Amino acid sequence: MKISRDWLQTYFEKPLPEAQALADALTFHAFEIESITTYDVVMPLDSVLDVKITPNRGHDCLSHRGIAKELSAILNVPMKADSLHGGDTISIIPKTNAVKVHVEDSKLCPRFTGALIQGIKVGPSPEWLRVALESVGQKSINNIVDATNYIMFDIGQPLHAFDVSKIKDHKLEVKRTKKEEQFVALDDKGYALPKGTLVIADNEHALSIAGIKGGKPTGIDEATTDIFLEAANWDGVTIRKTSQVLKLRTDASDRFQQVISPELAVYGLRAAADLIVELAGGKIVDFVDEYPKSQEKRTVSVSTEKVNKVLGTKLADADVADVFTRLDLLFMQKGSEFTVDVPFERLDLVIPEDLIEEVARIVGYDKISATELPKFSRKPEVNPSFYAAEEAREELVAKGYSEVFTSVFAEEGERAVLNKVGGEKPYLRTTLVDGLKEACERNTRNRDLLGLKEVKLFEIGAVWKNGKEVVMLGTADSQGVRETTLPISGDTISRYEELPTSVTEHYQPFSRYPSITRDVSLWVPVKTDPEEVLALIREGAGELLVHSELFDTFAKGEKQSLAFRLVFQSFDRTLTDDDASTRMESVYVALKHKGFEIR
Amino acid sequence: MHPISSLIREANRIFFSMGFTLVDSPLLESDWYNFGGLNFPDDHPARDMQDTFFMKDEPGYLLRTHTSAAQVRYPEMQLKTGIQPPYRAVSIGKVFRNEATDMTHEAEFYQIEGLAIGGDVTLANLKGTLTRFFREIFDGSSAEVRFRPSFFPFTEPSVEVDMRITGPSAPEKLRDRWIEIGGAGMMHPNVIRNGGLDPNKYQGFAFGCGIDRIAILKWGIDDIRLMHSADLRFINQF
Repeated sequence: MKISRDWLQTYFEKPLPEAQALADALTFHAFEIESITTYDVVMPLDSVLDVKITPNRGHDCLSHRGIAKELSAILNVPMKADSLHGGDTISIIPKTNAVKVHVEDSKLCPRFTGALIQGIKVGPSPEWLRVALESVGQKSINNIVDATNYIMFDIGQPLHAFDVSKIKDHKLEVKRTKKEEQFVALDDKGYALPKGTLVIADNEHALSIAGIKGGKPTGIDEATTDIFLEAANWDGVTIRKTSQVLKLRTDASDRFQQVISPELAVYGLRAAADLIVELAGGKIVDFVDEYPKSQEKRTVSVSTEKVNKVLGTKLADADVADVFTRLDLLFMQKGSEFTVDVPFERLDLVIPEDLIEEVARIVGYDKISATELPKFSRKPEVNPSFYAAEEAREELVAKGYSEVFTSVFAEEGERAVLNKVGGEKPYLRTTLVDGLKEACERNTRNRDLLGLKEVKLFEIGAVWKNGKEVVMLGTADSQGVRETTLPISGDTISRYEELPTSVTEHYQPFSRYPSITRDVSLWVPVKTDPEEVLALIREGAGELLVHSELFDTFAKGEKQSLAFRLVFQSFDRTLTDDDASTRMESVYVALKHKGFEIR
Repeated sequence: MHPISSLIREANRIFFSMGFTLVDSPLLESDWYNFGGLNFPDDHPARDMQDTFFMKDEPGYLLRTHTSAAQVRYPEMQLKTGIQPPYRAVSIGKVFRNEATDMTHEAEFYQIEGLAIGGDVTLANLKGTLTRFFREIFDGSSAEVRFRPSFFPFTEPSVEVDMRITGPSAPEKLRDRWIEIGGAGMMHPNVIRNGGLDPNKYQGFAFGCGIDRIAILKWGIDDIRLMHSADLRFINQF
């Protein structure tokens, strides 16, 4: 989520550190930072952090208030005020039923709050609001929509404003659609809502896709004077499924699918209603609050001993108490036993280990020492199938075979995957043969380059046939491609710890362009060292020569014949025959110069 | 030899010397061992963290997205033969992610998972174990491990793991720099319970990291797909 430093500053008296320092604080104590952007022209000096909120903190941290709370704990700086705690109880009076709301199933909509505001004037937003929204990548639309968006990015409660004059009979129903229904969203895009989609409707049509997106027909326009402001709480799984089916993700659905507290709704409603009245005038004439079952209050307990036992630390009771205080978690302490009253928005705090994590990250993971495990009380077991694979590997490598890994996906097979990106080769292979055959063919094209007389490959890998997953051993060479099940012997193991590993230090990038092979044969005096001739050839051939070897020799009286194979390749282009011929001319010149006779 | 096979061999040797047993686990896995047993709730956004290949006409089955099934499978297997903790195990093998491939992404790659369960296995032990593993596998004269907060459904607390290798034989590009290398944490009590153990008696750590990633870092490989290319211009360099 995009978090503006200027926006965060509204939560603190003291000036916050620079963006990089905020990023570091969050990185080592809360969340990863994807990027930092600093604006110079549009929003002078503001910096925006793109914070990767983990799924366990989607409940409270998809908001500036949530991140401010984190920073307050990490940096140990008090917040000016917390919009969710420590203030007066939120009042939503009067409730006159001017707009009637019926919730069909409170499991899907645990809370529905709303406010009827009359006599507003829709217009552009003030500068501060436009700047705030633009800083986090949002477009300013009008003062009403902007106010609802601002509150969502501020405290995490999504809201939606309806034009009341367009709601039939001033009655709203939260229900699943009885049949497929066409729906035009605020952004003019059309959606076919399948039967059973959770919506807010009047007695004729769906007016909004619950928790995801509002509809065009009841949208706010310049003529709107009376609005119904909705701040509801929705079942996360339902929102997630609808969002997936419609392929429609919004800032609202992102928050609801992570599940937010129903307690939050009223804070969002009150804040947005007050902001709207401030920006657009009008009067709040009615509130709605359908909330049949309040969220239960929860306590979680942990002891300092337990914290230290899990983390391997030696923290004191005071250290643990300090963390809870900084996080503004109210607690009772009896010796080293802490019982925390979990704030309503912290739906992630459920078991003692959750509190241990809070202690660990706020104290800092750098305080955890690196302590090796003690010697194990038993001897570890050798894995027979891995051992068999290692044996086979050693034997084949000694015979000049190279190991390859090919894809498990195939054109045909017994079992397939459902949802492969691109859709090609959805089957799981029933044999290693096809992959090896193809690998063999591809490598054979590079045989000269590789300096191999014969391409010899093997693969040890799983196949799926006759309803089972089996590990096979496949080989490919000039004799053909074969496979057998990997033979697993019951023998005890002798060499687990002595097997060699690669001693290569660096990988050398190689050219992906085709190579050209040329041979040269020549007569030289019998006593001539082929290595000297090869050195001469290499010098003459220049840097396009990537592989060269002596491949044939025979003697005839005082003379011997030497035949060399030369492979040319470029890193940045496909070589032509002319390129190779030019290089070969240089080779011939160099050889003739030495008095050798080209055959 | 193939760089992945070389690393698996070396990783196994290092962990074997620390008392870890290598365990087998299927590639075509059930939803329970890959997700449910690891404390992923049904229809939860945490499942979006990994793009999964689901099996056609076999509801509840998939290609494993990680080697973490060992966290439930290994204790279960041990208990069947009457062996109580402490346990130390590694699971190494191919895992799958349903995504488009490029220089840094492969749909099929290799992962190592390690776990230690006992009465008093701590997060500090996790740091110590990983420090030794990275030092040895990257030929460093010393290694440091740094944790950053993270979230995985199967661990609590959860951390991202960074390492820093020093010493003349460490790969030059890696030397003295913090590098992101894996994810880890203390096994969630629900996972301990799903393996058949009492979380009031036992606790443990678990970690996972990519073998391909280790290869890329160790040898300066510029494209993860080379590992699975069956191209001897690459493989025969090792």
